[in-house]
Amino acid sequence: MTRKRHSIFQPTRRVVLGGVASAGVAAAAGPLLPGLSLAAPAARLTRTIPSTGRTMPAIGMGTWITFNVGASRKLRDARLKVLQTFFDMGGGMVDSSPMYGSSEEVVGHCLARIENDQTLFSATKVWTMSEAMGKRQMKASAELWGLETFDLMQIHNLLDWETHLRTLRSWKERGRFRHIGITTSHGRRHDDLAEIMRTEPLDFVQLTYNVLDREVEARLLPLAADKGIAVIINRPFRRGALFGKFERQPLPAWAEEAGISNWAEFFLKFIISHPAVTCAIPATSKVEHMRENMDALKGPMPDAAMRLRMVDYVESL
Amino acid sequence: MIPFSPDVFFALFEEYNLAIWPAQLVAYGLGLLVLALVFRPSRAASAVIGAILTAFWLWAGLVYHWYFFAPINFAAPVFAALFGLQALLFFWRFLIRVDMTFAFRRDVTGAAGLTLMVLALAVFPLFEIAAGHAWPQSASFGLTPAPTVLFSFGAILLARPRIPLLVLVIPFLWTMIGTATAWAVGIPENMLLPAAALLSLIVIIRQRRRMA
Repeated sequence: MTRKRHSIFQPTRRVVLGGVASAGVAAAAGPLLPGLSLAAPAARLTRTIPSTGRTMPAIGMGTWITFNVGASRKLRDARLKVLQTFFDMGGGMVDSSPMYGSSEEVVGHCLARIENDQTLFSATKVWTMSEAMGKRQMKASAELWGLETFDLMQIHNLLDWETHLRTLRSWKERGRFRHIGITTSHGRRHDDLAEIMRTEPLDFVQLTYNVLDREVEARLLPLAADKGIAVIINRPFRRGALFGKFERQPLPAWAEEAGISNWAEFFLKFIISHPAVTCAIPATSKVEHMRENMDALKGPMPDAAMRLRMVDYVESL
Repeated sequence: MIPFSPDVFFALFEEYNLAIWPAQLVAYGLGLLVLALVFRPSRAASAVIGAILTAFWLWAGLVYHWYFFAPINFAAPVFAALFGLQALLFFWRFLIRVDMTFAFRRDVTGAAGLTLMVLALAVFPLFEIAAGHAWPQSASFGLTPAPTVLFSFGAILLARPRIPLLVLVIPFLWTMIGTATAWAVGIPENMLLPAAALLSLIVIIRQRRRMA
């Protein structure tokens, strides 16, 4: 496998030309503005990682199920097109885990064949018990991705987090990771996560948030903003269930005014317009869905009033 | 929490089938041999049947679960261990403790056992075709879990003097795992598994009551 090195700390021309920094500021100021927070239609929303000041596109890509395609050449070729589209449209964060079967290997396979991945923000996880197994697993992940350093290493679902956090800190100091974090999903173990966020220095947390699962708005998102922790949002579509529930329903009449032309944009704009959210990571195996996801980075973002309207609308259906 | 999608699951079957060809023909031939041997019961024939069942489960554990399935499913090594353990149980029950024979008799137990074996050999593949999972995306008899478990239920029901319960524990457990997976991934043909388990349970209870 071709060995590659990525330095995400060097902003690429694509990111700078995207005008995204201003977009990010405007979106973050959204709740203060009476209408829609972005005026420039071509701008792509980026967010800043509080601990390092690095900016990144507010839409990333998850790999749960979608990139776990094993050795099938046909399916790997199809995922290569998805990842290529992601980077073509200014994508940054790709998030995976050793728990996701062959996903890390397939991501590595695709990255080795993609030329335009300079904006890659590589994020994976450690998901095992014990320090020795954790170290072995993280080294294996680096091999599978074809990378020497990860932009973000997370502890998957808080598994043996006390042990792994020591390793993550030590390896971050040695330059093997640029950021470290911890994840949960499906609304699990929020009390534990809140305690860790209060007491441990973290760059990132990852949790579940979408237009129907909004428990984190009350405590975890404000806590992350208060502690300067970047937030990754998983399950933005409830693993596709939101489409099953709503896609036969019409978009609200005011959707166009909000820069929303499909349900994917509706769900994603709701998430990334929250000021405490850094990045949402929808997963897809289809190029057309990737385009829809990435289009959510563009156009006006909902402000606080609009976000309430979005919630009211889906709850009325 | 199934970590793969249906298209990936069936692509895996395709890859597996093409990689192990023509093992499918050998396995099918061994299945037919078991079917023939239950009509000519003897200790030697039963040992051969026990060896074949052992080989089926060992192969499904090592080759299918451990080698092919593990890359896309973190639970596959556990499944491989379960299948390996079942192979050991078959080996011990029918090749070391040689106190049973597999025999077809014209009674309810015999009819149920024979039906399940024929289901695994002949009807399951038709269900697969009807569900759109034709070769090479089909579950090979004797070399993948579903038809192997189905066939094993049938064979065990034919064990005399009475159905050994210990060797049924893992097939029942796998029925639960396989049915949940089939439901989540969309494999309608695998719904034969819970039907087979239910039939086996009824036959076992009936036999135990009669013997009590």
